[in-house]
Amino acid sequence: MMYDKSFISEEDKAKAVFFEFAEVLKKAGVDISIVEIMDMLHALPFISIAEKEIFKQTLATTLVKDYTDIPIFNQCFEEYFQRKKGNDSLLDVYTSHTNAEDFIFSQEEKSFLESLIDDFLESHPQSFFKKSNEYLTKILIDEIQSSEAGGAIGLSLFNRRSRFASGGADDSTEQELSPQVFEAIMGMLRRRMFERNMGKAIKQREEYLLNKYIYQLKPDEIKEMRELIKRFGQKMKNRISLRKKRVKHGTIDIKRTLRRNLQYGGVPFKIFHRDRKVDRPQLVVMCDISSSVNQYSRFMLLLTYTLQSLFAKVRSFAFISNLVEITDLFREMDPERALNSIFNDTNFTYGWGSNYGNSFNQFIHNYSDALTHKTTVLILGDARNNNQDPGLDSFIKIKERSRNIYWLNPDRKHLWDWSDSIASVYIPHCTEMREVKNFLDLSNFIDTLFIQKK
Amino acid sequence: MFNSIEDTIQQLEKQRYICSKEIATTVYLALKMQKPILVEGPAGVGKTDLGKCIAQALGYELIRLQCYEGLDEAKALYEWEYAKQLLYTQILKDKLSKILEDQATLKDAVNKLSTEEDVFFSEKFLVARPILKAITNKTPSLLLIDEIDKSDSEFEAFLLEVLSDFQVTIPEIGTITAVNKPFVLLTSNNAREMSDALKRRCLHLYIDYPTKELEEQIVKLKVPECGNYLIKEIINTIHEIRKLPLKKDPSISETLDWAKALALLGCEVLNRNIAIDTLNFILKYEKDIELVKKNINTIIVH
Ligand SMILES: Nc1ncnc2c1ncn2[C@@H]1O[C@H](COP(=O)(O)OP(=O)(O)OP(=O)(O)O)[C@@H](O)[C@H]1O
Ligand SMILES: [Mg+2]
Repeated sequence: MMYDKSFISEEDKAKAVFFEFAEVLKKAGVDISIVEIMDMLHALPFISIAEKEIFKQTLATTLVKDYTDIPIFNQCFEEYFQRKKGNDSLLDVYTSHTNAEDFIFSQEEKSFLESLIDDFLESHPQSFFKKSNEYLTKILIDEIQSSEAGGAIGLSLFNRRSRFASGGADDSTEQELSPQVFEAIMGMLRRRMFERNMGKAIKQREEYLLNKYIYQLKPDEIKEMRELIKRFGQKMKNRISLRKKRVKHGTIDIKRTLRRNLQYGGVPFKIFHRDRKVDRPQLVVMCDISSSVNQYSRFMLLLTYTLQSLFAKVRSFAFISNLVEITDLFREMDPERALNSIFNDTNFTYGWGSNYGNSFNQFIHNYSDALTHKTTVLILGDARNNNQDPGLDSFIKIKERSRNIYWLNPDRKHLWDWSDSIASVYIPHCTEMREVKNFLDLSNFIDTLFIQKK
Repeated sequence: MFNSIEDTIQQLEKQRYICSKEIATTVYLALKMQKPILVEGPAGVGKTDLGKCIAQALGYELIRLQCYEGLDEAKALYEWEYAKQLLYTQILKDKLSKILEDQATLKDAVNKLSTEEDVFFSEKFLVARPILKAITNKTPSLLLIDEIDKSDSEFEAFLLEVLSDFQVTIPEIGTITAVNKPFVLLTSNNAREMSDALKRRCLHLYIDYPTKELEEQIVKLKVPECGNYLIKEIINTIHEIRKLPLKKDPSISETLDWAKALALLGCEVLNRNIAIDTLNFILKYEKDIELVKKNINTIIVH
């Protein structure tokens, strides 16, 4: 009989663990296909799992193809395979329960149950799962039985008692499940929850931060985002340069083709293409760091810092009522120190309230050399000018001397022009003014920035 | 073939390459699984050298394909030797006229000629470039495709076909299949991202700057004249310097240059003055040098 002594080898059990680990990585956002998983399974027999460094590298080298995902991999690996004090590691959960479920259920029943459990986990709010495992398992079983989702397999599952009950206790009621079956289902549920939570927790944390309204980010969250932004920035840069390569080939270069084919009597054996000009992003970033933007400005400076470290030609400026260039500062210090030194410079932060007009005037006066017809200017700020002169002449000059000028505004659109914001004074002279609420908005914007045609 | 991961480390050390367990694991697995390796990492961490040393250790022939923008099949795979073909047609003019003598029309002449074209499109007129060389090599070879990120994505697509079945089709001759599948190593400096399809074919190896222990071992091996004490000081300093936000971090090759220079200068200890005077061995940008000078007190203790 199939489940009397269903024989599951140690190897299959181990395999299940690795499949699950790949699942965890996927849920944490690492791009993994079946090819990677097959490679991993193919590689494992060549090494000894007991040697941690080698084991870890075997998983990394087969599963992770994007080096920017390595930190995530490390995190998942540690959580999954290292037992943390006071917590179950997934391996523990496994060793105590897979035995039971494999002994009791056939493969078919198992995958059937798993899909029911997944539905169950999807259809209840997160808070619901704080209840005890026993309670949750009862609810799960109730739901399955009452929904009749079970069909034939379900019936056979829930009627399975006789094999475990001593003797032929066939008079027990239909609804009563044998403790072994109950235990096994509970084990599966627990494992499934654990596995979902781990990968998801990492991913969710990231998504939470990336989507969080910038105004509401707390200082330690901003710190936490530094790595994340760096990774995002690196990915973005890679994408952009890949895209650039793709558009490179231009028309035939007749001169070169003829010249190089002279050796063949002018017969054009070899064709040479003119390289299409590749745009090097040239950026000027001006960042309002007044207290009205506070957290936002810290965040924006962090972003400016990242941009500057990613692209060769970026010049960064910060302003409140005066404007200073901070390109060198960013080059010389790590972001945290640079940010602090900007905010501690009392010369600079003296007084309060941004003066966009004055800052634009100063820019034209002192830094016009930063502008060429290839420059893209980014203004990061809320256009709250404290009822001072907007400096529109200078702003228009900046526009005229650059390729385009984007204004990224953290205020919601319906708040533009509200109170002392003079967004609409500048809008007609911007290539575009955009609402940028969170990091994702920003990264999308920058992503499209470099594929724009002139 | 390497017998184990430990053996991989030892065999490569014999070729004067010091590798971490991670590197050895990937190399060992790739050989066992007959998969290419895509090696990524900053400049000068020994990506190219790894390929060379594996080839030496295994006694494989090293066939190197240096990539650059505009690299195409003609430079990577094969090329007809047009000049030679042209020369032959000139020399054989009389012979050709004789063959074509009886043909009444131009069309007949062309038809007649095309029956003879095999002569001109045979292996005699074929120049094998690295990939074809690696595929047709009589003995096992290591194909080192260096700095693949510098090539165009069209080339990458082409490479993908080669890597998937190790055979190439030359329309005039036919399909050539590898006698010995070459062991393939691709290196990239991350100038751009490789396509998913390419990555899927490969095991992935990211080489970062080495740990202090490994880097010390490398310098001891390559610049023994430096002396263990000075080497330790150099490595400590280099690792402190790498913590600064530099435009370009000093790589292993720069560490080696510095060690050589300091040994030549007869240094026994590394003090601030000597370090400042020789910073241009490890840093290429004036801005970086200034930054290190500014922080020299925290970098070097005496
Ligand atoms: N692990 C190592 N053991 C011994 N020597 C090493 C090691 N790593 C690097 N080197 C030495 O460092 C120098 C630079 O190595 P290599 O040229 O291979 O770097 P690379 O990563 O290919 O750099 P690039 O990206 O600039 O091509 C070489 O002289 C090499 O001998
Ligand atoms: Mg190299």
